[in-house]
Amino acid sequence: MSHLVIDGISKSFGSLQVLQACGLEIAKGTVTTLLGPSGCGKTTLLRVIAGFVTPDTGRILVAGADLSQVPPNRRQVGYVFQNYALFPHLTVAQNIGYGLTVRRRPKAEIQERVAKVIDLVALTAFAERYPAQLSGGQQQRVAIARALVLEPSVLLLDEPFNALDAKLRLTMQIELRKLIERVGITSIFVTHDQLEAMTLSDTVAVMRAGRIEQVGPPLEIYDRPVNAYVANFIGRANLIVGQSRGGQFVAPQPIVADVRDGEATLIVRPENLALSQDDRPGWAGSIGFATALGPTIEYEIDCGFAEPLRAVVTREAGRGTLPPGTQAKVSIVDTRAAIVRAGSAGNER
Amino acid sequence: MSADMAAPLTHRTPFLRMLKSSGIAPAVPALAYLIVFMVVPICTLLLFGFVTIERGRIVGDSFTLQPLMQALHDPLVWRLMWRSFWVAVVSSFFTLILAYPVAYVYSEARGSWRTLMLVAIMSPLLTSALVRAYAWLVILGGRRGILNQSLLSLGLIDEPLRILNTDLAVLIGMTQIHLPFMILPLLAVLAERDRRLEEASLNLGASRTVTFFRVIVPMSAPAIIAGLALVFAISYTNFIVPQLLGGGSYSTLAVQVYEQTIVVLDWTRGAVLATLLLVTCFFFIFAIVTVGARVTRWNEVRR
Repeated sequence: MSHLVIDGISKSFGSLQVLQACGLEIAKGTVTTLLGPSGCGKTTLLRVIAGFVTPDTGRILVAGADLSQVPPNRRQVGYVFQNYALFPHLTVAQNIGYGLTVRRRPKAEIQERVAKVIDLVALTAFAERYPAQLSGGQQQRVAIARALVLEPSVLLLDEPFNALDAKLRLTMQIELRKLIERVGITSIFVTHDQLEAMTLSDTVAVMRAGRIEQVGPPLEIYDRPVNAYVANFIGRANLIVGQSRGGQFVAPQPIVADVRDGEATLIVRPENLALSQDDRPGWAGSIGFATALGPTIEYEIDCGFAEPLRAVVTREAGRGTLPPGTQAKVSIVDTRAAIVRAGSAGNER
Repeated sequence: MSADMAAPLTHRTPFLRMLKSSGIAPAVPALAYLIVFMVVPICTLLLFGFVTIERGRIVGDSFTLQPLMQALHDPLVWRLMWRSFWVAVVSSFFTLILAYPVAYVYSEARGSWRTLMLVAIMSPLLTSALVRAYAWLVILGGRRGILNQSLLSLGLIDEPLRILNTDLAVLIGMTQIHLPFMILPLLAVLAERDRRLEEASLNLGASRTVTFFRVIVPMSAPAIIAGLALVFAISYTNFIVPQLLGGGSYSTLAVQVYEQTIVVLDWTRGAVLATLLLVTCFFFIFAIVTVGARVTRWNEVRR
């Protein structure tokens, strides 16, 4: 039973179609990420759920109830803004208590509930400060606390880590994930950062140009991307354009292709490629560039394709990198993990 | 300017060094202009209240506080000051109440509507305050004033309203004439405000009305304070409007300064009253700004 249903949402601003028949079903208590490049409509979809944007078609259902006619201030949907949108004229405690104050809850109740949430986000010492006196990470926690104190049934977060530096970002991602699990709230993140999506979510929805391309658990999307676009957005991928004939992709190694004959694209992850210098079957090429990452080495090998193949191989103890210009063969380690999709990657992008 | 060119300059004199380090340098031309053409003349004029003048000449070395003491013991002076004060306070609040909706509508308007509104708001400033005061004279004036004539012919009143030559006429005139000075600071702040704060407020369950009073108005408090201080100062010291719309027997402290200096030609008393006007005006502005700074404490705090 899905808690939140996004049903065929479309939206145009003038002649620009921002969302095209977006559909998504989200289970109660899970974390979903809308992942896509800027301008793909992911924030607009979030704003539709919050009620800030009225869709042209489609419905939003929460726990079976249609929200289409419900104004944003009656939706019980928490929203954490990209730059937090804290009220600068209110203290941390007043910011968090705002939703309760405007609902005219008794003072004692407000105090108690604010104290509880402020403790949850570890900001008790900062209760009387103004937002301008807080660091980025603290502001983010205030914004989350302000939404959580109302115990919404759905929490929406619009690129909540964007304003944080890289190191703090990682800490906050893990902290937030734990927090969400503790309060068990259905959450939707918006991000353009695939690592963030992998860290945070049970389900990822990859979006492109107003459409949802693929929905699934992060690893499933990583392992079985529906097309080259998704493959490139979640993790890195080598895309080899070639031909498929009789259920096979034409390559040095036999690869099962579940597509009709014609142009096809082979998607192989860099860690699924191996380098060899014997007569094993594989693409022959010359090493262009090597980056030693410590436990692994990343090679770029020019095999005559549009782009050099990228292979990440485990470093044998004590061995250095192969020098550029070395002739080598590139083979697929596990051909079952190589995916073939119809069409060429060129049209995909 | 390159650093090695500036270096000898910074060490030459303490004055120049201070000028550079305090960041005041760009304001020097304006400051010099104001000192020469405003501060010095004003001080000279005010000085007339503290010296003895005989046959149009200052009697050398005759500093005296006697005219000031005389003015301070004059109940009329206090009465006029009180009237100046409350008229300025009431008209400042009227301007605020009238200006806020205009500035808000402007901030919600788009494109050419904004331009149109801005022109409408600014256009009164193209005519002098004197002309606008006379216009109110025509509107509010006796039986044949536009207002009374319209109301009489519509049958809404039987007797002409007696508005001219009352406090009300002065308040109406001042409020209208000073309206742009309240609208402009409000408009600047409201038009540039962060709309996401309103979305956040809605999302947290506040209605649009509650959002207006709990988010939009408090956020514009610095502009409200600035507008109030500005309008208070120009209302408190305005002598044209009280004179024209208040009638011959109506007077305020500013009107007295004008009459003593221009009509009675008692420059000593004029200068003393001007000193009182200026000092009290500064005091009230200081009070408004101090209270404002407390209200908008959040605006001052920085990491």
